[in-house]
Amino acid sequence: MTRGYLVALVTTALAVAFAFPAGSSAAATLKVWFPQGEQLVSVDRPGSTAADAVAALLAGPTAAERKQGLRTYVPARTTLNDVTIVNGVARVDVSLQFVLGRDAQSLDARLAQLVHTVSGVEGARSVLLLVNGGTVYGMFPGIVTSRPITLKYLETPNVPASHTTAPPATAPVAGLLQAQQKLVSLGYLLPADADGKNGPQTQTAVLAFQKWEGLGRDGDLGPQTKAALATAEHPAPITKGPSGKRAELLLDRQVALAIEDNKVVRVIPVSTGKPSTPTPPGDFKVYAKIAKWWSTPFREWLLWAVPFNGGIAFHEFAEVPPYAASHGCARQFATTAHWLYDFAVVGMPVKVLSTSE
Amino acid sequence: MRLLTALALLAALALGTAASAAPPVPTITPGQLTVGVSLPSEGFEVGVAKGDQVTYAQGFDIDLARALAKRLGLTSVAFVQSPFGRLFSSGSKPWDVAIAQITITDQRRRTAEFTQPYLTVDQGVLATQTVKPIPRTLADLRALRICALTKSTGADVAKTVVAPTRPTRLIGNVPTLMLNLQTGRCQAVIYDAPTLGTLKARTPDRYGPFVGVIKTGEQYGVAMPKGSQALSAVDTAVGALVADGTVQRLQRKWLTTNLETLPTLK
Repeated sequence: MTRGYLVALVTTALAVAFAFPAGSSAAATLKVWFPQGEQLVSVDRPGSTAADAVAALLAGPTAAERKQGLRTYVPARTTLNDVTIVNGVARVDVSLQFVLGRDAQSLDARLAQLVHTVSGVEGARSVLLLVNGGTVYGMFPGIVTSRPITLKYLETPNVPASHTTAPPATAPVAGLLQAQQKLVSLGYLLPADADGKNGPQTQTAVLAFQKWEGLGRDGDLGPQTKAALATAEHPAPITKGPSGKRAELLLDRQVALAIEDNKVVRVIPVSTGKPSTPTPPGDFKVYAKIAKWWSTPFREWLLWAVPFNGGIAFHEFAEVPPYAASHGCARQFATTAHWLYDFAVVGMPVKVLSTSE
Repeated sequence: MRLLTALALLAALALGTAASAAPPVPTITPGQLTVGVSLPSEGFEVGVAKGDQVTYAQGFDIDLARALAKRLGLTSVAFVQSPFGRLFSSGSKPWDVAIAQITITDQRRRTAEFTQPYLTVDQGVLATQTVKPIPRTLADLRALRICALTKSTGADVAKTVVAPTRPTRLIGNVPTLMLNLQTGRCQAVIYDAPTLGTLKARTPDRYGPFVGVIKTGEQYGVAMPKGSQALSAVDTAVGALVADGTVQRLQRKWLTTNLETLPTLK
C-alpha cells in the first residue's frame, strides 16, 4: 500500500465520519445520472430510496449544473407513479411522457439515465420500465423494454468500433505542393502529408485554415482561400498560458489549437456542441485518454477520446459538419483524432473559449 | 321532462333516417372498432400494453386502423395485444379486425378472412456490421449464418430461395432477432423489407448494409375472424384508403420509402 493510498483512505474515513454523525440519518445521498457531452455523469442528491432517486432524476439538473453542460432527456412533464423493488428488480412506473418522441438518441439516453440512477439503490440490480402500469413495447429503438434491463447490458457495446475510412488519395494536382508547404509552415498540415495530392489530410488542413481565417468553410482550395493563404500568418494562441502542452478550443471558429510552449503546433477543425447542447466554456484538464470509449447513453463508439470535462471529450466521429453539431463534445475527423490523442497528456490544460476575437 | 323526451326521440328518429343510407357496421362494441395487434414492430406498431389492453400505440398500423374506423363511420378505436399467430388463427376473437403486417396466404385463408391487400412488400436482407465482403448475390448469402423470424415469410424464403449451407436460425420475436444481428450472432436477417429499412434508417450505426431485397410481392391484408358480418364493409373501406392515397401518405409518415433503390438479389 502506498502512502498516497493510505492518506486517501484516511480522508475518506474522515469524510464518512463527518457525513454520518452517530444517530443521524439526514445526510444520506444518492447519485443521479445526467448526460454531459456523450456520457452520463453523476450528481449527488439527498435521499436514500429508489423513489427519491427517480424523483430527483425527473426534476433534472440544477441551473448551475446545466451551465456545466449537464442536461436531461426525460421529458419535462413526466411524473412518477410508483417504484417497487422485488428480488432486485426495480419496477419503475412513470407517466406516458417518458416514452414519447421520435428521436432515437433522446429515447435511448433517457432510458440509460433511469437505469443508471436506479441501479444499486435499495439493492436494485435491474430496472423494469412500466408506463401507467403497462409494459413498453418497441418505443426505444434497439432496446427490448418488455424485460428488466441491467446497467451492464447498456454498458456493453453491441456494435463493432469502426474508424471512418477516408477516401483514397487522388492524383497529384499541379501547384498544390506549394500550398501544402505553406499550410505545413503555418501549422495546419503535417510535413509528411505535403504530397502534392488533394487527399483527406489536405482537405482537413484547408478547412482548419478557412475556419481560423473566417473564410467560407468548404475544405476546398479555391481562389479566395488561395489568396488568403498567400498572406496568412502563423496562428497564435488566444491566451497566454504555462509552457508545455495545452489546448484551446475556440467555439466561435470551431477549431482546436494544439499548443506547446505557447506556440500553435496544429490547428484542428472540430464540431462542438450544437445550440441546444452547447460546449461550456472554462478551464479544464485532460483527465484520461481512451482509445475506444463506448457511449452508454447514445450507444455508439467514441474513438481516440480525450475527455477533459466529465463526459465532454475530443474524439473521432463519422460526421464532422463545418458547424457546431455535437452533444457537447469536440468531434474530429479521422485525419486528426489519432494525432491529437498522441499529442495529449493526462493533466494537459484545455481552455474552452466562446470568443476568440 | 315529457317534452324533452319527445324532442330526444325526434332527434333520434332524424339521426336514424340520416344514417339509414349506410347501416352501421356490426362491431363487437357498437360504435367502436376493436383492432388486434402484435406489438412491437418498428414503424408499424409500438406502444404500451397492460396485459392485452393496449393503452398507447403509434405507427403505420395504428394510423391505418384509425383511418379505417373513420371511413366505417365508427367513433372510437381500441387496440388489443395478441401473439402474432393468433391474429389469423381459427376461432372467435376479441377484436373486429387484425392489422399487423399479415401477409395474405392460402393457408391463412383457411382460418381467417382477409380484405383486399393494402400494401405489397418484398423480403429484405440486412447484414451485420462485421460481414466482409458484403454479400451481393443469393450465392454470397448461402455461406452466411442466416436468421429469420419463426413461421414468417422470411423463414420460408431463407429455406427455399437462399438455402444456406448452415441451417437458418429461427428466432421467436423481432427484437431478439435484431439483437442477434447487432451482435453478429446472425450475419444476415431476412425479414419484411419495410421493417428492416425503417430499423436501419432510425439507428444506422447498429447494423451493417441493407444488402437488397428478394422479390416475393407478398401482400398485407386486414385479417378478420371467419364469418365476420363486417367483412364486406371493411373490405370496401380498405380499398378506399388505398385509392384515396391514405395508405401512401401513412407509408411516407412512418416507413422508409426508398426501398425501390435497393438491388434485387439473384
